[in-house]
Amino acid sequence: MKRRFRKFSIHIRSRYLLTVFVFVCIGLMLASSTLPGMISPVREISGYAVAPFQNGINQVGGWFRKQLSGFQSVQELSAANEELQAQIDALTEQNSELMQAQTELTRLEALYKLDQEYPEYNKVAAEVISKDPGNWYSTFTINKGTADGIRVDMNVLAQGGLIGIVTETGEHWATVRSIIDDANNISAMAANTSETCVVTGSLLNFESGRISFSGLSDPNDEVTEGSAIVTSNVSSQYLSGLLIGYVSDLSISSNKLTKSGYLIPVASFRSLREVLVITEVKQTKENSD
Amino acid sequence: MRRKLVILLMIWLCFILQTSVFKMLDIITIAPNLLLIMTTSIAFMQGRKEGMTVGFVCGLFYDLTYGYLLGTHSIILVVIGYACGSFRNIFGDEDIKVPLLLVAAGEIFYNIVIYIFGFLLQGRTEFVSYFKTIILPETVWTVLITIVLYRLIYRINHRMVEKEKEGNQSLWIRD
Repeated sequence: MKRRFRKFSIHIRSRYLLTVFVFVCIGLMLASSTLPGMISPVREISGYAVAPFQNGINQVGGWFRKQLSGFQSVQELSAANEELQAQIDALTEQNSELMQAQTELTRLEALYKLDQEYPEYNKVAAEVISKDPGNWYSTFTINKGTADGIRVDMNVLAQGGLIGIVTETGEHWATVRSIIDDANNISAMAANTSETCVVTGSLLNFESGRISFSGLSDPNDEVTEGSAIVTSNVSSQYLSGLLIGYVSDLSISSNKLTKSGYLIPVASFRSLREVLVITEVKQTKENSD
Repeated sequence: MRRKLVILLMIWLCFILQTSVFKMLDIITIAPNLLLIMTTSIAFMQGRKEGMTVGFVCGLFYDLTYGYLLGTHSIILVVIGYACGSFRNIFGDEDIKVPLLLVAAGEIFYNIVIYIFGFLLQGRTEFVSYFKTIILPETVWTVLITIVLYRLIYRINHRMVEKEKEGNQSLWIRD
């Protein structure tokens, strides 16, 4: 049996093997685009072969980072301390201002009998364990999965802002597509006017640390540089009111009706380690049953 | 058989390194393509058939974890494996200059294909800026890493081939 196999492998010509491989690949592409349900168990199994080790390497990396940071010079630390002290002062001041605003708000709310609740979402913390090996797409994997209650389409936050959306899940891992990815479009709105716009990820803008938005109608020029852009309530995938970033550039579109520009995201994508996953999927007409 | 398992292990290791270590370092914003180095090196040392098989497996690793469609990266790497395998009988595999050139050519081919199908067809026509920000840095990085990695792969592969010859199980080297 073995002998026959050996003969066979000598006689097959590489040109034919190339054709076979090409057809297998095309077959796989067709299969995964038409029957995604058949492929997902295979993906899940492959996740088991890779994710635990990426997690392990990450733990080791984290340990090294910790050891290295122990060697920081005293000067550096005292400088950092000074800076932080200044920050505390500023924040305390800000906090007292906010407290005042808050009491005023409760007073006014009581006055208007406003009882709309701002939703508090439940979150699960997770660590980033690996990123897309290529340089064209900005997806990454986290170390929590279905076992921790994570589902596809859940929103992911980092450093206080929106960072992405879960696209695939395994038992102990999940893949997140970040909002800077070219394949991403978010329905958003200006926080102060509630006028909607579309935030689009782009590989080229990311190099300069920005993402672009367009289609913002702003007839009274209320949106200025520094205005916050949040996810809108009409978005089909993103929960409303999540902070995306602040406007950094604003220009009037060629149709003279809407404005477009760039915003600086709150979350930093380069130094991404910990993220929070909101364990709630937006209810829409299609998925509410 | 044993050599194939070792190669599979090397691919797996390259994949894990590429997704975790190289992408998580803050200094590096563009990661080198270790899977392409694997495909090119094995193809150049062992010929077309093995090059194609390694390329297929490498691509499958990528597609199963991060790809949108299965087989997209496989098909590119299979073609690269086939092309690089054709150079095997023309040059000796001890010299590192030829594999460096092959890796550079493979990198540019690989990225241009991804650009055309993933970006150009979606109406993103700024090829020059994509070339400057993604393709060029990735190619430079990958070629630099090849200088180190090729020698390592070469040594491991040669030792395994020797062992296989001793065991008289030369399934792959009789091409």
